[in-house]
Amino acid sequence: MEYAVLPKSALGSFVDALRQYGKVIAPVAKSERHFAFEEVTDARDIALKYIPTILPPKKYFMPQYETLAEYDIREGQKLYPVVEVEHIVLFGVHTCDLAGIQCLDVVFSDRPKDLNYLVRRGYVTIIGLECNEYCDQYASCGLMGTFLPQGGYDLFFTDLGDYFFVHVGTQRGEDIVANFSLFQRAESRHFWDLQLLRAKKAEIFRPEVPVDRFLLPRMFQEGFEAKVWEDVGNRCLSCANCTNVCPTCYCFDVKDVMNLDLRTGKRIRVWDSCQNEPFAKIASGESFRAERSDRKRHRFNRKFSYPVKRYNRFFCTGCGRCSRVCMAKIDLKETIAQLARETGYLKV
Amino acid sequence: MMKAPKVAFFDFTCCEGCQLQVANLGELLLELLDSIDLVEFRETMSERWDGVYDVAIVEGSITTPHDVARIRKIRERSKTLIAYGSCATIGGVNGMKNAFDLEEIKRYVYGESAKFFETLPTKPVHEVVPVEYFVHGCPVYQPEFLEVLKCALLGIPYHVPDVAVCVECKFNENVCFYERGITCLGPITRAGCNSWCINNGNICYGCRGMVSNPNEKGFLEVLRQYGISLEFLLRRMDMYNACRILKGAGMVYEEKRAH
Ligand code: SF4
Ligand code: SF4
Ligand code: SF4
Ligand code: SF4
Ligand code: SF4
Repeated sequence: MEYAVLPKSALGSFVDALRQYGKVIAPVAKSERHFAFEEVTDARDIALKYIPTILPPKKYFMPQYETLAEYDIREGQKLYPVVEVEHIVLFGVHTCDLAGIQCLDVVFSDRPKDLNYLVRRGYVTIIGLECNEYCDQYASCGLMGTFLPQGGYDLFFTDLGDYFFVHVGTQRGEDIVANFSLFQRAESRHFWDLQLLRAKKAEIFRPEVPVDRFLLPRMFQEGFEAKVWEDVGNRCLSCANCTNVCPTCYCFDVKDVMNLDLRTGKRIRVWDSCQNEPFAKIASGESFRAERSDRKRHRFNRKFSYPVKRYNRFFCTGCGRCSRVCMAKIDLKETIAQLARETGYLKV
Repeated sequence: MMKAPKVAFFDFTCCEGCQLQVANLGELLLELLDSIDLVEFRETMSERWDGVYDVAIVEGSITTPHDVARIRKIRERSKTLIAYGSCATIGGVNGMKNAFDLEEIKRYVYGESAKFFETLPTKPVHEVVPVEYFVHGCPVYQPEFLEVLKCALLGIPYHVPDVAVCVECKFNENVCFYERGITCLGPITRAGCNSWCINNGNICYGCRGMVSNPNEKGFLEVLRQYGISLEFLLRRMDMYNACRILKGAGMVYEEKRAH
């Protein structure tokens, strides 16, 4: 069964059934406008209508603090590799965040392969959830083309009123459907409903900035010396919120933490960010990107230019988190628009 | 096994709240006592010791000539010195007195008997004697203190994070105060406390001191947008940062005071 439907009334028992595949994690409201992926035991706690969570699902694939190895200094340089894993089911992942996970997959599968990431990845089941409308004014999934599902899930849910339309993406997804009796075969009227929604979405999800997505890498190259970098650099406080909340930022630092016995300890990795002052500092004290303008330009290029060359994909999913969380109100869409204006790429 | 290193606590001008944090460590304290020999600690013991300290942990700021003489003596007897708590590392709350005339403040605090007290502008410990390790915070954050102490005992450097409190705040997935229309000193304050206050529903009030290169102009602009007056902000920043020369903001402050 490649397509199925699930009556909404069955969601509660479905979520219960999901627990056999692992801890169920879903978006939960933290305030009216703030959501977070957290463990849920009751489907009623799930926010089916939510705007992107404060942190993306990234925290389950590369945790903020992650043990890579353990050691005992009495054994010299010997390290025992560690991967901490648990079975989890991520329920309700929007398409922009699915794209974000795909970016991480690409990076961590690149040589040298990151075993910690790849092993943990295998323990995660992903159930996507379509956005029927825009989350808010910060999103740019229209420009980035991430408002429709493009793989990266085991199952994908679309809310069509009193039922979910479900696309089965993997064998694991197929097993989940086969093992839960309340799924029904999708019929032609269900496909019609889906098409209607998609047609409506095509009307409302449009490039939020009038630029050609495929010309973005060139625009960023040509705009390397643009004034916009100085502008945002002057305003930026280097708080690194924009990178910590970004679903595709994957930079980390590695540290050794000794236990209180002063003999055993562990090697951990911790999220790091190009926006942090010490990030590009080298032993002599100099920094490759001492100016905030350099750092802001770097972040944008790491979304719209460098990875396109290396991996042939944009590393911005348009989720809007960076703009939502910036106290200096540095807005991604405005920054792109200003650069486009300066470089002549703005469509009129 | 090597001999347990001798560790001692000393306090200068402070509230001893940071030492209380150690007493509060509970079970971890017991585990810690397995690897050290605590020779002086006023909070929980009354013994004194007069040999060499492997690690001296100094709380409080230096505010009198007597303090200066005493900290020099402690330094001479210590292999390693840890400045412990914001009073010791940046002058902390005590730094507020530097904004006033010394004679005036003395009369204010001691009244009639002011002439019996000698006082000096508040100084963090490292401005008087060399300091190897710093544990910032008012009070210190226990897990960071343990990290620093472990480094001191192992003789390896501890790097105080030079990133904003926001970094740890986002790791903890807190809703940012700015998104609720409330200002917070997180973006200019150095991390290391695991965003302790924000996790508990309070703003960061900058107790660990500023990051090495804060964007003060940009920060003032953000506050202006949130309708915060400069004076209000400076009072808040002054609470912990008075001892440190305020860059851009300090100049504005001086100008204001001159007028
Ligand atoms: S969130 Fe804003 S202020 Fe903070 S580092 Fe990013 S751009 Fe700068
Ligand atoms: S750059 Fe901003 S909008 Fe793009 S993926 Fe990262 S957080 Fe989302
Ligand atoms: S950015 Fe687009 S895909 Fe992501 S949550 Fe918002 S509307 Fe949905
Ligand atoms: S609440 Fe304060 S510390 Fe946390 S992200 Fe916002 S400004 Fe930074
Ligand atoms: S959040 Fe701010 S005020 Fe609170 S402990 Fe940390 S640095 Fe100090």
